[in-house]
Amino acid sequence: MKNGIIETRKNFFEITLTVNGEKKELSVKNGEFLLDALRRHGWKGTKKGCDTGDCGSCAVILNGKPVLGCLTPAVTAHCGEITTIEGLGTVHAPHPLQEAFVEAGAVQCGFCIPGMILSSKHLLDRTPDPSEAQIRKALDGNLCRCTGYVKQVEAVKNAAKTIAGRKKRKP
Amino acid sequence: MKNIKYYAYPSTVKEALAVLLNKKYKAMALAGGTLVAKTLPDTVETYLDLKNLPIKDIKLQAGNLVIGSGATFDEIDRSKLCRSWAGGVIAAAAAKCSSQLIRNMATIGGNIARPHSFNIFPVVLLGLDARVRLQTKKGAKLIDFQDLYTSGLGLRPGLDSLIMEIIIPAKTRKWKCEFIKLAKTDSSWESYITLFFSAEKKGKSVTQARVSVGALSPRPFRAPETERAMLAGDEAPAAAAVFAAELEAAKAGEYRSSAASSLFKRFLNSI
Repeated sequence: MKNGIIETRKNFFEITLTVNGEKKELSVKNGEFLLDALRRHGWKGTKKGCDTGDCGSCAVILNGKPVLGCLTPAVTAHCGEITTIEGLGTVHAPHPLQEAFVEAGAVQCGFCIPGMILSSKHLLDRTPDPSEAQIRKALDGNLCRCTGYVKQVEAVKNAAKTIAGRKKRKP
Repeated sequence: MKNIKYYAYPSTVKEALAVLLNKKYKAMALAGGTLVAKTLPDTVETYLDLKNLPIKDIKLQAGNLVIGSGATFDEIDRSKLCRSWAGGVIAAAAAKCSSQLIRNMATIGGNIARPHSFNIFPVVLLGLDARVRLQTKKGAKLIDFQDLYTSGLGLRPGLDSLIMEIIIPAKTRKWKCEFIKLAKTDSSWESYITLFFSAEKKGKSVTQARVSVGALSPRPFRAPETERAMLAGDEAPAAAAVFAAELEAAKAGEYRSSAASSLFKRFLNSI
């Protein structure tokens, strides 16, 4: 059981975790939430919106599923695997979802997009050919104040087609 | 959260209970944490994380549906067993909780650990005669769900005991049920009222009836007069009037009483 308890040192927990495929050792404050810890350590693609679990702009993928960074105590990511928007693609090699969002005109101010793309990635990972209803359900926790969600739904559908096409081409 | 000194992440129930019962730690158990992570009492010094415990299975056991307390709303929503049980009412209720990001995190155990008006599952579990298995310092304890919040139990789940699983009895498997959440939007956390209706019919007679109501008070309640009216074979408008009167008596107000009785009438007409 000793391995199953960690203690604060001067109000900080030392945790180890994997962020975007890289092993990291991070100091997180006691009482700090994952959203704030990630931003403090440089992953600023994770956005702080409502900070109450309502808007979804702080979503990250933790151990395979999208969670709200603002409601996840940072210390609970100890031994976990996190994917932030920075881990999905780059400017020169974007993820099909990132390409599709740009091409469909789904990005206006862009603040909600990191969370929305990570929610969409999880959806496509487990439902490669989603219906519109499935897309809307998967994104119901990602609020966008600029658009009417039509373009984002279109982008996810297009990304699904692109990903399916690439899989077919691979032997 | 600022008073947290320890983070415990046990992988067995025995280890988790040892931390919970050790006065040195002043621990509180959290699963998804969506309800309480932001509002931990200052007296709590250890965050006891239940995510590694083997309490997530959804299975059939002796004909009953057994849902591990660590199962998330999303897992319940997607479970074939839950989708087929009692007309899929358990999965349907899970799908109506807040947003997908919350459903990925929140668990059924966390949802029933403390009474709260807007919790989704209590109203359904009350209607389905569910039982709850707790692990206490004296061993396992099986109680009726309706007794979970009574002070006579002397237990505070998450502080001195752990909710292990929820057992839905075999008799409910084929019940015709409906769960309704009347709220501003589908993904609202708050609801005006939550309703669970259930009935079984043999010929023209109703042989089983359950009506439970949530969101009006921290604890859901059954509507016994309405259930009696259903069993007595009252016509839908008459039974709905009884329901409206029961809701008025529970201080539901005109809008909720009127809307809920209309929804109840629709349910009666559908069976």
